[in-house]
Amino acid sequence: MQWTKKDMELYLGSKEYFDTAIIPIIPFQLSQEANIGKSTSKREVLSVFVTEIERELSGRLLLIPNYYYLEFGDKDEEAKRLNNWTEEISKQPFKHVFILTFDAGWKRHEKDLDANLLWLPGFQTDQLNSTEILQMIRGQVADVVELIRSYW
Amino acid sequence: MSEEKQQVSRRQFLNYTLTGVGGFMAAGLLAPMLRMAIDPVLQPPSEGEFVNVGLAVEDITTTPQRVDWKIKQVDGWYESEPGRTAWVYKDDNGDIIALSPICTHLGCVVSWEGSEDHPNQFFCPCHDGRYTKDGVNVKGTPPLAPLPTFEQKVENGMLYLGKAIPRKGA
Ligand code: FES
Repeated sequence: MQWTKKDMELYLGSKEYFDTAIIPIIPFQLSQEANIGKSTSKREVLSVFVTEIERELSGRLLLIPNYYYLEFGDKDEEAKRLNNWTEEISKQPFKHVFILTFDAGWKRHEKDLDANLLWLPGFQTDQLNSTEILQMIRGQVADVVELIRSYW
Repeated sequence: MSEEKQQVSRRQFLNYTLTGVGGFMAAGLLAPMLRMAIDPVLQPPSEGEFVNVGLAVEDITTTPQRVDWKIKQVDGWYESEPGRTAWVYKDDNGDIIALSPICTHLGCVVSWEGSEDHPNQFFCPCHDGRYTKDGVNVKGTPPLAPLPTFEQKVENGMLYLGKAIPRKGA
């Protein structure tokens, strides 16, 4: 389910069937101009990704609204805030909380995070609508879905 | 006193402006709704339209296969391209069956033989919902209705799918 009125009404009526939440985390930073192309492109791919993952598992998984952070900011601070989010979500209760990112920088902070970090090597593309790219994303989505299911 | 007066008029001015903006926004919201209510021809064509899903009829076998495609959806001013999926196969009479994969329980995507323990059935990974090959829900699993079937037609040997039609609970 997504963070929309319609979906959340369904969720509230069937809370006992939901035990998994996923937080997409997205970096941005205007001051590093050389990086903006890469960063925005990855963000677009990530949004297709989470939409597809949510679609496959929408009856058990809640898609949390995006979390944004400064790409070259202090990751320790961000980890603390993310843990606040995780704590709040876990109380509902959600047994499994995942953080989805394309940012390899998080790998080094994985141990500081209370949620499960799902790091995927993102990629850049100008052809987000081409069949090949979508085919490829679908292949990866199937893998991520498998991974999430392995926690159930 | 004159300062006071000025302030009041300034406050009034801001107030008018805001009300004006609000009214403008309400009008903006109403216009598309009115148009749809008055003129059915203007309603978004997307949902029910038949789409070539890129599958040749001769490639359809008796084993369900997954096809994915996209439709254009216009929701007021918001345009999106949501993905659509179907499980397609030929039944024993050679008729094409196209089932929606959206579990009628809470909406996860089911897959054919998605569980090794249940061959020859559709399986929902979320709460172990199951359906027989014709899409009818298996009693005792969470779903209470069969999988919807897509409207379909064949043109030049290609499969076209339209709206998914819900079916009554078994
Ligand atoms: S969503 Fe399919 S069994 Fe619950």
